[in-house]
Amino acid sequence: MTENKIYFKFDGKTYGGNHGDTIAAALLRNNVKLVGRSFKYHRPRGIYTCGIEEPNALVQIVNEHNEPNVRATVKEIYKGMVVKSQNRWPTLKRDIGSINNLLSPIFSAGFYYKTFMGPKGFWKRVYEPLIRRTAGLGKPPKEFKSKSIHLHHNVDIVIVGGGLSGLLAAKKLAGTNYDVLLIERDNVLGGMLNNTKKIKSINDQSTKDWVEKTERLIKNSSNIKVLKNTLVTTYNYSNHLIALEDKSVGKPQSNKNPELVLHKIRTKQTILANGHIERFVSFRNNDLPGVMLAASFEKYINRYGVVPDESPVIFTNNSSTFSLVKLLTDLGYKPKAYVDIRDPKKIEKEISELLKKNNIPLYSKSEIEGCDGNNEVKKVTIRVKKNEAIKVKTSMLCVSGGFNPDIHLFTQSKGLLKWDENLLTFVPNKIFQNTITLGAVSGNFDYEKLTNEIEKKLSIFKNTNDLDIKFDIDGPKKFQIKELWETKHAKRSYWSKSFIDLQNDVTTKDLKQAIQEGFNRIEHLKRFTTNSMGTDQGKISSINALGIVSKILKKNVSEVGTTTYRPPYAPLSFSAIAGRSTYDFYDPKRKTPIHEWHIENNAVFEDVGQWKRPWYFKKYENESMYDAVQRESKQTREAAGILDGSTLGKIEIKGRDALEFVNLIYTNSFTKMKPGFGRYALMLGEDGMVKDDGIVCKITNQHFIVTTTTGGAASVLSHMEEYAQTEWPNMNVYMNSITEQFATFNLSGPKSKLIMSRVFNNVDFSNERFPFMSFKTFDYLDTQIRVLRASFTGEMGYEIYVPPKYALKLWERIFYYSQDIGLVPYGTETMHLLRAEKGYIIVGQETDGTVTPLDLNLNWMIGKNKKDFIGKRSLVRSDTIKEDRKQLVGLIPLDKTYGIEEGQHVIENEEISTPIINPIKMLGHVTSSYFSPTLEHCIAMALIKDGNRKIGTKLFVSTPNHQSIPVEVVKPIFLDPNNERMQI
Amino acid sequence: MFTINCPYCGERDQSEFSNGGEAHVARPKDPSQVSDREWSEYVFIRTNPKGIYYERWVHTHGCKKWFNAVRNTSTDEILKVYKMGETPPPLKEFKNTIKTPSGEPDVGSGNFSVKKP
Ligand SMILES: [Zn+2]
Repeated sequence: MTENKIYFKFDGKTYGGNHGDTIAAALLRNNVKLVGRSFKYHRPRGIYTCGIEEPNALVQIVNEHNEPNVRATVKEIYKGMVVKSQNRWPTLKRDIGSINNLLSPIFSAGFYYKTFMGPKGFWKRVYEPLIRRTAGLGKPPKEFKSKSIHLHHNVDIVIVGGGLSGLLAAKKLAGTNYDVLLIERDNVLGGMLNNTKKIKSINDQSTKDWVEKTERLIKNSSNIKVLKNTLVTTYNYSNHLIALEDKSVGKPQSNKNPELVLHKIRTKQTILANGHIERFVSFRNNDLPGVMLAASFEKYINRYGVVPDESPVIFTNNSSTFSLVKLLTDLGYKPKAYVDIRDPKKIEKEISELLKKNNIPLYSKSEIEGCDGNNEVKKVTIRVKKNEAIKVKTSMLCVSGGFNPDIHLFTQSKGLLKWDENLLTFVPNKIFQNTITLGAVSGNFDYEKLTNEIEKKLSIFKNTNDLDIKFDIDGPKKFQIKELWETKHAKRSYWSKSFIDLQNDVTTKDLKQAIQEGFNRIEHLKRFTTNSMGTDQGKISSINALGIVSKILKKNVSEVGTTTYRPPYAPLSFSAIAGRSTYDFYDPKRKTPIHEWHIENNAVFEDVGQWKRPWYFKKYENESMYDAVQRESKQTREAAGILDGSTLGKIEIKGRDALEFVNLIYTNSFTKMKPGFGRYALMLGEDGMVKDDGIVCKITNQHFIVTTTTGGAASVLSHMEEYAQTEWPNMNVYMNSITEQFATFNLSGPKSKLIMSRVFNNVDFSNERFPFMSFKTFDYLDTQIRVLRASFTGEMGYEIYVPPKYALKLWERIFYYSQDIGLVPYGTETMHLLRAEKGYIIVGQETDGTVTPLDLNLNWMIGKNKKDFIGKRSLVRSDTIKEDRKQLVGLIPLDKTYGIEEGQHVIENEEISTPIINPIKMLGHVTSSYFSPTLEHCIAMALIKDGNRKIGTKLFVSTPNHQSIPVEVVKPIFLDPNNERMQI
Repeated sequence: MFTINCPYCGERDQSEFSNGGEAHVARPKDPSQVSDREWSEYVFIRTNPKGIYYERWVHTHGCKKWFNAVRNTSTDEILKVYKMGETPPPLKEFKNTIKTPSGEPDVGSGNFSVKKP
């Protein structure tokens, strides 16, 4: 073990790599070719590319929250990294799942849709577990810890890609007044200059020196900021870009610092200079480990100093592979064979001369038929001119099927493409936003034209630098290509497959079969075959699929069209998107001023929106919710109970026209109501349906305080604002939320008056001086509190409004004066029970947006003499005046020992046949149901069709086990119908 | 994820705003005097054009002010922003750039012919 090696583990074995190696480079350095198993057939897979486009070499990083589907061709190694291959069991070399390969006839196109249709029950017991175990990529991490942050940028120009074109653009903009962000996904600038020696020198400097010099120039200019290790994943409308920066490249993740930064960028102009991607070719067993894209092979040598193989076979349809041959021969290696589908006359003389000089056999007008080997390439079959096949022994095959401009981001921006007949690929045609494409991504593969292109396209910017650039190019000057998507192969066995999508195991045969079955639209074809639906989105293969499809359909590729490119460009972890919005930061918890007291008194909390509200209080350790609620309710009716109602929404309304405004917002009329009084009020939508309820208190005709439901507080305020601003802009009225300015206690029960007169001994609480629905404001300590005599329980009751600072003290004082009375704190569940006994509705429980006040028998709340209020006109629509609408009724089981559950259906007939043959007529459903400790039987409310006329009749409530409970339909009020208890 | 130029605060991210549906659908002055049909059209019926749309926005996480905007629904381009109560800009001020194969009208969907504002 030498000092400067970096040691990491792959599938339990320790390997050494060099500083800066990706996992893939380090594995190739150690001659490891087999790195994973495929998705469907569990075929052996190796390293296909040298970058983000990799479809095969996906691994799991065990020491980083077991992060799955990491590209081995991108992730840098560091000391102590633990890497596992994916999709194999029990081991990579002996994989039981590869039996799927023999079952492949059933795994053909559309197999998810066809194979798993039946028989009934097979999905759950057989298919799903089978698929879950054997298909799929890596395993999801069990623990989640987000360590990402989000950063926002506002700039003039974003340059995506710090390769040759991006650097030239930056050079042109350096020192100008434009605020520029240059984004490079690699940890070095220079792009292809690092990967190939196609350009020998720039302005007579080595490319390395030129990149370094240009980077210095950019760094020294004050207007350009460079982000490395940052991948632009998303190009939204209005030049909004999202880019992910990896801060932990080449080092273990730290526990302190964020490892990911999600950049959200707004720019006036986007320059796309994000290059091109080499594509593959489909031939028999084109997935075998040992098959690699030619430019990637070249990159491993130039960038990492790893020679994956000293004498590979090279297979091409274009002029770009010159540089690979040149590189290998310069290093003293010799490719086994050079296979070019093109006519000898079309092959550039630089290539033929180079091959001749080095004695490398050239097979022109020939193609690779397929390759063979167990777990990796052992030999390839070349079909030479006259259909004769020769076999060549080799352990690697370098393939180039041409290049595609990396148009992903361009199409995300909604730019339109066109098919280029010379390059045989889609190139940008029309921009939709302020977008400029430069270099390879714009379809310009010729370096000699590059400077001109940049000068021209960036001439829209003012006072930029002139580019004075001269390239010395090695090899063919012009890129040339001949169409090739797939080579013919004679079927040999089930094992012989020609893949079009390596990650999703889609074969060219699947494409053909899908078209035969009628899926001849590219979007349908994609979904039916799952072609290009993997995490790599078919980066090296999706255009090939279009080529093959166009041939079968006998159409031009441009007529076939592309599928839609959607963000992100490459997978983005949820952790990056979540940023700091996790756990407690995801949503605030709202607590009332009495919260700590509730905890000390064993409250069990319920979430109501963001609020934490006591649901019930446990009197002793094992008290059940049912027992607690029965106890709390009974004690409130017998003595007194208190509820922390601080979460109730409170809105203050002021202004010259406040009275008129409140009259229009609520159904009730407040004109004759005296100052110092409140009224239970209903709010409707313009459709006449109940929206919210609360109490409206009049301080003066120009000053009101209204309450809302806990959940409706925000929406009621914006509803008011909307009408005040848009419908009645001339009204003088202002409103503001005062929810958190006052804590609210609801004290009720026969002893509540006694408690109040003890706590506030200078106030007269007699019915004459403090009548029902009146309120008073008085001094308390050095503040003021307001008390409203109102009741949501049907008992004598008071609502106490107190500033939060004094709330807990007052709450405790109330208990202090009630020691001999038996005051009980109660929670939301008891509140619901007590109001149900009185038939009071809860908006959102008895109503669901389809219920009018008439349906609830709340006609008395409608100000009939008012000319207008929101929703009034809708109450006389033909639908809302129907007499047989669903109406609110009460239900009592005939057998008092029975219980009813909320949500159960109300039906007409007792008999429910099993199995159910005819639909059962549903009259409505149970909205609330409780066991009343005071009445000692179950009480329920229900919305049922023609309910008012069904009062006094017998109906049934259905239960899930096909029984029906006979119930009597009654008026929805069960206790004290004359409200005598509120007046004691 | 576009930006909206709030007439009170300036340009802000779309996420600060809420959409309030079609603009210039006035509430009848005296609802009791309109027919069921007229009222239900006010309450329920809105145009849903592919193309130029006059709509309302509110700066929910900002100044809370309501205002009007003209947006091309097929490109999400906001062509104009103006305050409540201001006269809507005439349709001819905007060029509807999106023509669809189904030949939809410049304003309104295929189902409803729209009163031009
Ligand atoms: Zn604003």
